[in-house]
Amino acid sequence: MTPNDPTPTPTRRPPVFAIVLGIGVLFIGGLLAMMLIKPPQKALCDEPAPDLALTLFDDYNGGWSSETLTLADLRGQGVVLNFWASWCKPCEEEAAALEAAWRKYKDQGIVFVGVDYLDQDPAAKRYLEKFDISYPNGPDLASKISKRYTIRGVPETFFINPQGEIVGCRKIGPLGANELAQRIAEIMP
Amino acid sequence: MTDLGFIALVLAFVISLYGIAVSLIGARRNLPELVASGRNAIYVVSGLVAIAALLMWRALLTSEFQLEFVYSHTERNLPTLYKFSALWGGQAGSLLFWTLLACILATSATWFFRQQQPSQKPYINSVLLLYIGFFLSLLLFAENPFSRLWRSATGEVITGVFPPTGATAIVPSDGQGLNPQLQNYWMVLHPIGLYLGFVGMTVPFAFAVAALITGQLGNAWIKMIRKWTLVPWLFLSIGILLGSQWAYIELGWGGYWAWDPVENASFLPWLTGTAFIHSIMIQERRGMLKVWNMVLIWLTWELTLIGTFLTRSGVVQSVHSFALSAVGPMFAAFIIATMLGFLALLIWRLPLLKSENQLDAVLSRETSFLTQNVVFVVIMAATFLGTIFPSISELVMGDKVSLNAPYFNRVNGPIFLALLVLMGAAPLLAWRRSAPETLRKNFLAPIIAALVSVPLLFALGNRSVAGFVGIAALFFVFAGIVQEYVRGVRARRQATHETLPVALANLVRRNGRRYGGYIVHVSILLIALGIIGNEFYQSEGQANLAPGESVTVANYTLTYRTLDAVRGPNYTEFRAVMDVARNGRPLGQIIPTKNVYNKNSEQPMTEVGLRPGPIEDVYVVLAGFDNMGATASFKVYVNPLMSWMWAGSLLLIVGVLVSAWPRRSPATAEAARRVPSGAQPIA
Amino acid sequence: MRSRLLLHVVILAVFGLLMTTSAALAQTPTPNEINDVARELWCPLCNGVRLDNCDLQACIQMREVISEKLTEGESKGQIKAYFVAQYGDVVLGQPSGEGFNLIAWVFPILAAVIGLGWLAYLVLTWRKRQVAPVSAGPDAPADATQPAADDDYLRRVERDLKQRD
Repeated sequence: MTPNDPTPTPTRRPPVFAIVLGIGVLFIGGLLAMMLIKPPQKALCDEPAPDLALTLFDDYNGGWSSETLTLADLRGQGVVLNFWASWCKPCEEEAAALEAAWRKYKDQGIVFVGVDYLDQDPAAKRYLEKFDISYPNGPDLASKISKRYTIRGVPETFFINPQGEIVGCRKIGPLGANELAQRIAEIMP
Repeated sequence: MTDLGFIALVLAFVISLYGIAVSLIGARRNLPELVASGRNAIYVVSGLVAIAALLMWRALLTSEFQLEFVYSHTERNLPTLYKFSALWGGQAGSLLFWTLLACILATSATWFFRQQQPSQKPYINSVLLLYIGFFLSLLLFAENPFSRLWRSATGEVITGVFPPTGATAIVPSDGQGLNPQLQNYWMVLHPIGLYLGFVGMTVPFAFAVAALITGQLGNAWIKMIRKWTLVPWLFLSIGILLGSQWAYIELGWGGYWAWDPVENASFLPWLTGTAFIHSIMIQERRGMLKVWNMVLIWLTWELTLIGTFLTRSGVVQSVHSFALSAVGPMFAAFIIATMLGFLALLIWRLPLLKSENQLDAVLSRETSFLTQNVVFVVIMAATFLGTIFPSISELVMGDKVSLNAPYFNRVNGPIFLALLVLMGAAPLLAWRRSAPETLRKNFLAPIIAALVSVPLLFALGNRSVAGFVGIAALFFVFAGIVQEYVRGVRARRQATHETLPVALANLVRRNGRRYGGYIVHVSILLIALGIIGNEFYQSEGQANLAPGESVTVANYTLTYRTLDAVRGPNYTEFRAVMDVARNGRPLGQIIPTKNVYNKNSEQPMTEVGLRPGPIEDVYVVLAGFDNMGATASFKVYVNPLMSWMWAGSLLLIVGVLVSAWPRRSPATAEAARRVPSGAQPIA
Repeated sequence: MRSRLLLHVVILAVFGLLMTTSAALAQTPTPNEINDVARELWCPLCNGVRLDNCDLQACIQMREVISEKLTEGESKGQIKAYFVAQYGDVVLGQPSGEGFNLIAWVFPILAAVIGLGWLAYLVLTWRKRQVAPVSAGPDAPADATQPAADDDYLRRVERDLKQRD
């Protein structure tokens, strides 16, 4: 069929390029596999809550004394950590319920913390004003907190007990008053 | 009735496995009956897949909403064309469509080559069936287009082909509608082109595998698959260009290519495929680069899969991306297995892949082709890295960066310029070696043309350095091609005394491969011209206007008149009517619109108001409006030379057709009789 | 007709298609001035969408901030720095040239160097082996003193003619 083909001469040494190609194949294969098995989202169910440092909006410190709020400061209190954004429609559905719950439970050792995800100050403040929100709120600068909590969108809410542990799993999507009351009961000090 | 589609898929899957088995056993034991049975399996599998696809189409067209796919991708009011094209509007359906195209291709290739290469047949058939079987397994085990909606005993909505115990069928009264972005003519055609290009690369790949397994590694397989590579390459190119056209008129940002992961996924195999169709010429003529060609077709084929994997597994996010699904792990496993398999074959056959010739001179056609090949692969590698880099950085650093158009332009822009220059230089270099005298003779006119372009552009008012460089490169390449044609025609006329048009026609007819190739090169120049125009000379402006007010961008003044609402079948169209004038001279109207779809009112679609022209396009986007059009916001772009990009796209088709058109001239017939296979012809 | 139009305007308003607070924009920077900054930034919520072409509510808000900052007299650089502090490098659309992300810039250069180096190596070694006689293909006589390209044509034309006869 192919008279021009030279007769095969056995070579002992595998050629350099075969090794290079092999490495390339392994690299790409490994990469594909790694991308698939990488943890897409930390579960963060019933485990210690990652710490966070939130710089609060000027007028929305919720009576907090310092400019920055950390989770460590809130030991001994139950924390409702809510991620939201002013451009997020579902967030508006839960905003009133959150504020009402905060007013109801704030004297019972429950703190609400709002983390504003990928947002802008003027719009965020308009949103806070619109829903008359009074609990501490601050922007998530460079999405550091959102990344630590591996949020996939807004709204997402975590319920953290006085020992600094997340109780149950994250709540994805807007919260209703009933569910909120039920989850808060679990973190009551 | 529609359940038959599922049964057809199951049967097709079983028969494709059977076909692989009998082909391989038949080849080993040398039993032609089994090999023939394996070949027939391709026909049977194709028939079954066709039945499944037709049933799916029937379900889509008759709105069988109990099927989950029909429910989530169509609605009653969807125009028929889009009901038809909804097949490739979602993951499961597009995999079925993909399988159908693979079957059509496998069937036509099997029939086309029915007389040739009997010893390689079983292996070719096995590879084709393996490919089809893999896609069938995706359809059966990961994304079943025939799964239905059920309500379980506990009231949950679940999907599945068979009802779980106690479940009742749900038949929704209407579907959720097709993604508005896909309700566009270009978007109907674009995936067909891409998919044909993707699946088409399987044929040359199958031949390469068969050549490796049988050890028949001469030029025979290269010659046979040249056209079977050119045609998928053409489809891939058309698919990419249709996608650009869609982005241009539908996305409304004045551009045509955003280096989005899905776009890159189609571009990667195009790059290696282009390198392949060039480098096989060297193997045909000079018996060199045998290993390299194997690697290139392997890469091209794997890249069609890797690109699909990246965009369909949810690993890389993109505007077009499909939701996370079980398709990812299956794709990854298939890619890794085929990569290792082919690598093993290649290393096993390495001793047979010795080059028959050596390089004679540094300045030769061979070297320029090699350089071009390397450059293509470098662009591929850079683009590949750029595409997956956000995922890598998320993996390693836990922090996602984004790589957008500026990154790719900065990295690939200069490499493309080098490629353009190479495209001009390669045809001017002779095979084997170029004498200094020839070099001077061949390069003189193109270099003069490039130099002349600079003052010419300056006189036209150009001050952009990148523009000077780009346009000079275009002049250089174009002059080289014209020179080739002029010499060819002159040589013919001297020898035959034909008239000029006859000589030209005969020249192209007799040497379609060469002169068709040059036509393709010219089409690339035209596309590059459009890119340069859009990239370096675009003007834009945005303004909020009340009726009667106007905005001026470049030489154009656009006056906003009215805003109308027009009801379409499943959407409402908001049409802003504007008068256009160039330097005060009225040119007519331009109507940018915004479509609000009934089922997707939160995702209004832009329809650009376009006034194309040979020099420049006026391109208007209705960005927003207020109080029933009391004020409206418009973005206006003036995009120079864009029309040439689309003209180039058409010329590309012409060029490939000229180059691949079957020629049964007495010359080739006679040559085929005389020359033993494996010898190298001149042209 | 009108009422339907009104309905859709309401829908559009809800989903943020409307130009934001046109009253506030009246005496403030023009859309062109805003776009001039927005063109160099990227929507942090999308993939590959430039801020000046983005219809999302979040992007509209970002442009609103650009407008405010321009009114306050901030420069383009300051505004960009502000957004980087707010959102991280994502808004710049290309990786910063430091740390791990440097790879994105180094790799293409490395690929080009390796590719061309390999090419040079190949060409040179193949040239060296040229002591071996060149196999005699049908187009073997490539004489360096002859203008090869023209020769090529004439040969082909002659062949064509022969075959026509």
